[in-house]
Formats: sequence, structure tokens, C-alpha cells
Amino acid sequence: MIKAFLLSTCISLVLSACSLEPVQPWDRDILAQQKMQLVADPLEIYLDEHTYFSKEASSGGQSVGGGGCGCN
Amino acid sequence: MQLKKTQQGPRNIRRQLAVATCSLLAGASHAGGLIASGDNWKIDSALLLYAEKDRVSLAEGILSISKEIDDDEFINARIVTDVLTGSSPNGAVPSNTAQTFTNPSGNSTYTEAANTTPLNHTFKDLRNALSVEWDTPLSRSLRGTIGGNISREYDYLSTGISASLAQDINQRNTTLTLGFSLNKDTWDPVGGVPVGFTVMPASPAKKAIDGANTDKTVKEILFGVTQIINRQTLMQTNYSWGQSDGYLTDPYKILSVLENDGSGNLRGTNPYIYENRPDQRTYQSLYWKGVHQFPNENVLNLSYRYFWDDWGIQSHTVDLRYRFDFDGGHYLQPHLRYYQQGAADFYRQTLTDGEEASLAYASADYRLGEFVTQTIGLKYGFEFKNGAEINFRAEMITQKGKDRSADAVGVLQNQQLFPDNEAYLLQGGLSLDSDMVIKYIMRLFK
Amino acid sequence: MPDLEHRADYFVGHFEAMASNCEVLIDTEDENLAQEITQLAATEVCRIEQKYSRYRDDNILHQINQGIVTRVDEETTRLLDYAQQLYHLSETRFDVTSGVLRRVWHFDGSDNIPSSAQIDALRPFIGWEKVQWHNPQIQLAKGMEIDFGGIGKEYAADRAVLIINTFISEQPDTRVHDTSVLINLGGDLAVTGPRKNGNGWQVGVNSGTSTMSPQAADFSLKQGGVATSGDANRYLKKDGIRYGHVLDPHTGWPVEGTPATVTVVAASCTDAGMLSTLALLHGPEAEVFLREQEVPWWCQWHNK
Repeated sequence: MIKAFLLSTCISLVLSACSLEPVQPWDRDILAQQKMQLVADPLEIYLDEHTYFSKEASSGGQSVGGGGCGCN
Repeated sequence: MQLKKTQQGPRNIRRQLAVATCSLLAGASHAGGLIASGDNWKIDSALLLYAEKDRVSLAEGILSISKEIDDDEFINARIVTDVLTGSSPNGAVPSNTAQTFTNPSGNSTYTEAANTTPLNHTFKDLRNALSVEWDTPLSRSLRGTIGGNISREYDYLSTGISASLAQDINQRNTTLTLGFSLNKDTWDPVGGVPVGFTVMPASPAKKAIDGANTDKTVKEILFGVTQIINRQTLMQTNYSWGQSDGYLTDPYKILSVLENDGSGNLRGTNPYIYENRPDQRTYQSLYWKGVHQFPNENVLNLSYRYFWDDWGIQSHTVDLRYRFDFDGGHYLQPHLRYYQQGAADFYRQTLTDGEEASLAYASADYRLGEFVTQTIGLKYGFEFKNGAEINFRAEMITQKGKDRSADAVGVLQNQQLFPDNEAYLLQGGLSLDSDMVIKYIMRLFK
Repeated sequence: MPDLEHRADYFVGHFEAMASNCEVLIDTEDENLAQEITQLAATEVCRIEQKYSRYRDDNILHQINQGIVTRVDEETTRLLDYAQQLYHLSETRFDVTSGVLRRVWHFDGSDNIPSSAQIDALRPFIGWEKVQWHNPQIQLAKGMEIDFGGIGKEYAADRAVLIINTFISEQPDTRVHDTSVLINLGGDLAVTGPRKNGNGWQVGVNSGTSTMSPQAADFSLKQGGVATSGDANRYLKKDGIRYGHVLDPHTGWPVEGTPATVTVVAASCTDAGMLSTLALLHGPEAEVFLREQEVPWWCQWHNK
């Protein structure tokens, strides 16, 4: 499972470096939409991360910072 | 030059054209009207209500304010307040008789009925947090972000800084991110910092403490690659490494100590001891996220995280959000999340008499156990023509531990040893520009 | 002073620029405000005309067209970037370097068709991909020319709207803030926003025998702009063949089978102008292109 994931990640990186046709600035209309951002609703993600941080042993992965609390 | 022939005939270019025209008309010194003015503050707010069945309830409010202070240079400030009430598992296992525990202060006791998960009922907390961030271009293809955060609870203080660099390469189709954060947290637990594996004495006797407060340091490094795949698809892959040093134990959590005769009964004297965890934890994660827009303008947002640490915990998280857009600015977004975690090496639901002398660490905190969290939710949003948005979401979260009753001894085989949990979440959000607020206020006074 | 006229419940200011009759419709009963707004519009349109007219030898465009390495200002940067984006977006159909063809094509209604040799001699000087444009510097090969004629009027209308919007929103008297203004530069229209009564400005399309979507010859314009492109009066005719003024930059010859006029309504006058121009460049496929864009349009064809 893990190996497969790493492999697929590597493949996607290699693919992106070599064979992807670059998307030009004038073709970025869709990617520029708020709903297409990696974090489309920052407050929702903040609340989710805070909730699961206090209920589970794992945290982070998506970004750094944000701060701790005594809930875990 | 070869003329590119479109196979499917003419395609829709209206939106791409609008983007191009926007930048043609924008840079102007008099960029009012058509283009949103950069003078405004963007205000995002949300209120979350979270309630667990028979356990903790939480109300959390966030206000986030952002402003573009110069070309492509942003500042953001976020304040968060949350109020927590209710009870939380204290680590002890249920018993076929009522159990009496001493409150952390040592001044009072609480009693839990037979055959129920013992909860610490004095769980009441108010948290205030502030974070600020400054995001600025450093060159044509390099951005830098620095931030600071502080969070205060009556028994906990967290302060931290973070910084990251994002380098665009490959005609801005690839972004490399390097991030770093450092947090310094201080515990000031009620009744002092308990000494690990010492007994929870019966009130009014006081627990053995190692000072009134203690602290920990958390540092994290993240390396990420964000790649534009095509006009509709974006992917991000991150590796992060983190290390916590210092007091990583939960000062309020205890373990039940059983007789070592296999009966499953609590030992006769001092059946509860304070938990004890290592003073260092190193963890790593691999994170992948993909965002894709379909021709019908619906958006799929899928992520996977593999997390592991040197406490023996491994976890897998899959998170899926799918946004359906409807006419008139309405959208619906179902959310599914699946989280599966393996237990820490020192996770123990119970100890037997005398065992604590041979162990370095043990904790019965359910969050270090083996369990699955499942989330199902639905969000509804409405985007106003002027760019404001209002949204609501409702989610249900269930947490279920691995059934270990076969391993349990004696009378405990009949008890629910892992405190399964069920929680409901309601959230409302509102985003708008400061000039909308000003216009509205002015209209009120007209 | 531009001349001003009062109609039903608004003022109309008139001025001449860009070889067109220009009108400014101002949704106000305040004559001084109408006067000021008309003046602002006239000043901005004339500024753009002077800066980018190809008939002058004292502007930045003239310097660029001499083949001199030119460091351009911010506004010209945006126009050049826009020309580059449109070149790609139109799959190289729209090309601001194709104006050199006017040296041999004179659309004066005569039968004076240039020879293939004359056209082929110009083709080396056409093609945006040959332009050395590295913001903020541009250099054209000797003999090449840039012409913003295909964007100028629509851009000027949108710019006038931007400036008037800013002017209105900066008025200390807040009652003025919902004043709507329509700019009409010889049939290319842009508006600042809905009128005080919440409706738009009534616009009629000279539709004649048009095919259209939606099926109405007039509509109310609340937001954005309208533009019309066509060759109704600019063509050559020889041996019964009509040669329209829309030239294909790849061949140097007129695009065959174009509609007579195309009118489009879009988010801005510039958008509308580009969509109507690109529709013409699609020749007989103009309507296919327009249907794909999800905007209101009117398309009038030559009598067969």
C-alpha cells in the first residue's frame, strides 16, 4: 500500500516534469477560481484540523504552522 | 507556423477572455467598478457548534481579516475563541462497581456509575487564539510567508512562529514549497504536574507533583511540490517531519491497575495511576491532494495522508469533498473522511499490579489506541453576485475502537473498554468585503 | 466644451473621437455633473486615440513601429500582453501585426484586388511570434507593424467607464453614487452599472435579417458592454466575388464567407469586441463559435 503510494507519487512527479504540457497564464481561468484552490475554504480546514487534532494522534501534513493547544 | 486545427470546432473562450481583459483593464490607476478594488479588507467568519453524545460540547468562533497591502502582498489576522464544556474519558476502564476519582485539584471527588466509561466531568475551558501572517513576493517567482501565533487556555499557553518559501518553476506550472515552524508550549495543569506512574490519591490527599508547570517544544519542516496537471487539475505532494520534545504526557489522564490474578478486578488499594509518555516524539507524514474540475464545473477535492511516528503509531487518512454547482450561485458539497490509526507501542487499556515498575511508559488515552474515525457531512453554500458567500454544513463523526474484549481479562470481558464516540458538527460561515459592510452601515443611517 | 442635450430623464453628451460620433448617456438631472462626466469620457478617449493612433508620428506606437528597441510604459505593457494572450487564445487568428496588409488592401468599394505576389511579399512581416516582446522591452523586425485598431475603441469605452466609475464613487455627495453612465463610441457600448430605477439602458440592435440569440432586437444593458464588428461598407468586389475587410493573417486574403455584422453582449466592451471580431474570423462558422460562448449575439449575413 505504502510502496504503491510512493511509487504513484514518484510517477506523478516524473510525469509532471517531462511530459505535461505547461498550462499558459491565459489558460488559468479555471485554476484561478476560489473553488479550485488547494484550500478553498481556509476556515473550514482550520476547524477540521483543530477538531481532529484533539481526537486523533496524527496531525499536519498539508501545511506548517497554525499553533498548538492543550487539547492533545 | 502550423495552424492548430481544433478537432471539435470552436470552443468556449469567454471566461479565458474575461480573465485576459480583466488584467488589461485592471492595472490602471483608476481601477474602480469592474474590478474589485484592492483597498478592501476581506472578512471571513465562521461559527462552529460541536457536540459529542454525553461528552464534550464546543462552540468555536473565528474571524479572519485579510488585506492586499501592496501588489500581491497580503496580510492576514485571525482570532479564534472557543468554549468547551462537558466531560472527557479520563483513561480508566469501566467497572462492574461504581468508581470514585479525585479531581485534578485534589480538593474534591467525582463518582462514576458501574459499567460506564469514566469521564472527567470538570472539563471546562475557554481558549483564545490569535495568529498573523504576512505573505509577500520576494522575486518574480519566489514568495515568502512568515507568521506568528499565540493561543491561551487557563492551563495552557502555546506560542509559535512559522515561515515558508514557495518557488515557481516550469513556467509557474510547478511550485516547490519549503516550510518551517517552531512552537513553544507551556502546561500549567490544575494541581500541578503529576509524576508519571504515581498513584491518584483519594481526596483530600494530594498527588505527587513535579513542579507547577512544564513545557514542550514542537518543530516541523515541510517540503512540498504543487503541480498544475492541466487546465482543470492541480496536485500537491508534501513530505513533513516533526519532532516534539519535553512534557508530552496528558497530566489529567490515568490508567486502571488490576489485580494480577486474572479476575479483571481493580487492585484493592490505589487502583489508579497517572500515565507516563516518552519525552520525545518524532513523526513524519506523506500527504497528497488533487483538485479537479469536471466539464459540468463540479469540483473534486481528494486527499490522502500517511502518517507515522517513533511511538509506533501509523495512520491513513482519506478525505473527499465533491462540490456540485447549481445555477444562481448555489452549491452543495458532500464530505467523506476515513481515518484509521494503529496503537502506540505503550498504549495499554489497563495495567496489572506491580507492572508499572517494569514499564518505562504507558498510557490509556484512547487517542493513542487503535481506532477508526468516519465522517460524513454536507455543506451548502451560496455565492452572492457581489462576491460575498454564506455557507452552512452539518457533519457526523463516529469514532470506533478495535474490539479487544477477547484479550480482556476476567470481568472486563463484559465491558466496553474503548470509549467509542459519536459527534455532530454544525457550522455557519460568512465571507464578505469591508466595503459591503460599510455600504450596509451607511444605508442604515440614511 | 462638449455639447450636452437633455432627454426624458437623462443627459446626453456628444463629442467626436476615433473617427466616430461618441455619446455619453448620464442618468442624472444635474447638468454640471453631466458636463463633468462627458468631459472626463472625452478626455480619456482622446488620450487613448493620441497614444495609440497609427496615423501619428509622435506617439509610442510610432516609435515601436520604426523597429527601435522600446521600453514601454505600464499601459502599453498591458495592451501588448493582451495582444499576446489573444493571439494564443484565438489559435493565432487574431494578430496585431496583420495591419501591414493594409498597404496593399484598400477597401474602398472598388475592384482593385492586390496580386498574390504583392500579398506574399508582405507575409514575412506578419506573425506575432516574430515579435521580440520581453516585458518591458519590445522590438519589431524592420518592416513589421503593430496596430491596436482591433482593440482600441472597445478598450477606450471600458477605460472611460472605469474612470467615470471612480469619479462618481469619489463624490462627497453619496446620492450621486448610483448614477449610471453609458458610453457609446460609434456603436461600441459600455455601461457603469444599472440605472437608478434598477433597469438597464435600452439598446436597439439594427438587426434587419439577423439570426440571433436571444430572439429580440432590443434589450436592456445593465452591466458590461456591447460591440459590433462587420464589413457592411468596407469591401472590394471583382468578377462577382466579394472581398470583405476581415483578413486572415495566415494567408493575407480576406476570410471567406464572413457574416456582414456580428453584435455581441459581454462582461465588458473589450470582451464583446474580441468575441465579435473572432466570430468574423471564423467565417462561415461564426455562429457555431458564437453559440459556444454563451453570450447574447446577433449575426447578420450578406444577401446571398
